[in-house]
Amino acid sequence: MHIETFQVLADPVRLHIVDALRAGERSVNDLVDTVDIDQSGVSRHLRILYERGFVDVRPDGQRRLYSLRPEPFHELDAWISGYRNLWEARLDRFGDALRRRQVARAKRHKERKK
Amino acid sequence: MTNITIERTYKASLADVWALWTTKDGFESWWGPEGFRVDVRRLEARPGGELHYAMIADAPQQVEAMKRMGQPVSHETHGTFTELRPRQRLVLTHVIDFLPGVTPYESTIVAEFSEVEDRVRMVVTLHPMHDAAFSRMQVQGFTSQLTKLDRRFSFQS
Repeated sequence: MHIETFQVLADPVRLHIVDALRAGERSVNDLVDTVDIDQSGVSRHLRILYERGFVDVRPDGQRRLYSLRPEPFHELDAWISGYRNLWEARLDRFGDALRRRQVARAKRHKERKK
Repeated sequence: MTNITIERTYKASLADVWALWTTKDGFESWWGPEGFRVDVRRLEARPGGELHYAMIADAPQQVEAMKRMGQPVSHETHGTFTELRPRQRLVLTHVIDFLPGVTPYESTIVAEFSEVEDRVRMVVTLHPMHDAAFSRMQVQGFTSQLTKLDRRFSFQS
């Protein structure tokens, strides 16, 4: 997992652009309306997204249409599965600790009864 | 952006499950990635209450790994119970301030509890995107997780 993938998405404007593109291909003007910052700002962020492999671009007459590429999202998905596994393991330990606690208490009860 | 929700159901009392999050000995009995233990310095189980513990690498491999990365083997860790409704819900916010060159940020864990007949259902919600950029402890945790899986696998076979 490249830290860079997270850094690209950590920016709120870029995240907003990516969200807007989830519905499909969009033109720059369209994105400017949606994201509500000026065109140069949107273009700058689109360039970063393009350079890092998050989006594709194709000309359509005068317009340039942007769309998402799947690769970074697959990578993200794999990373998140790893994160989940880490927490599953923690909760396994939680379950083990819980059982130890119950056993210890049962023991104490028994000893008290003696 | 993406939350992870993990659900577990334990055959236990709600009091015991709650105690594992909100008492010193309970918290110490499970918290932290594999290869680490925690020593709780202060745990105030009330809304806005403080949580302070030392996270200590204690498995030899882990100690070695931390040294290799130039990290101390023990780190004083601070958090807050930003929300706490006894035996129902807690929100634990950690300050992640041990990453060289990374501005300290907050990491939030939500745990919710309910009784289902003689069992307790626990739902833990995490925010990995927020944590991702960032935490070498998590990277460490992830590595040790693989070790743990290996071990479990060989245990089962």
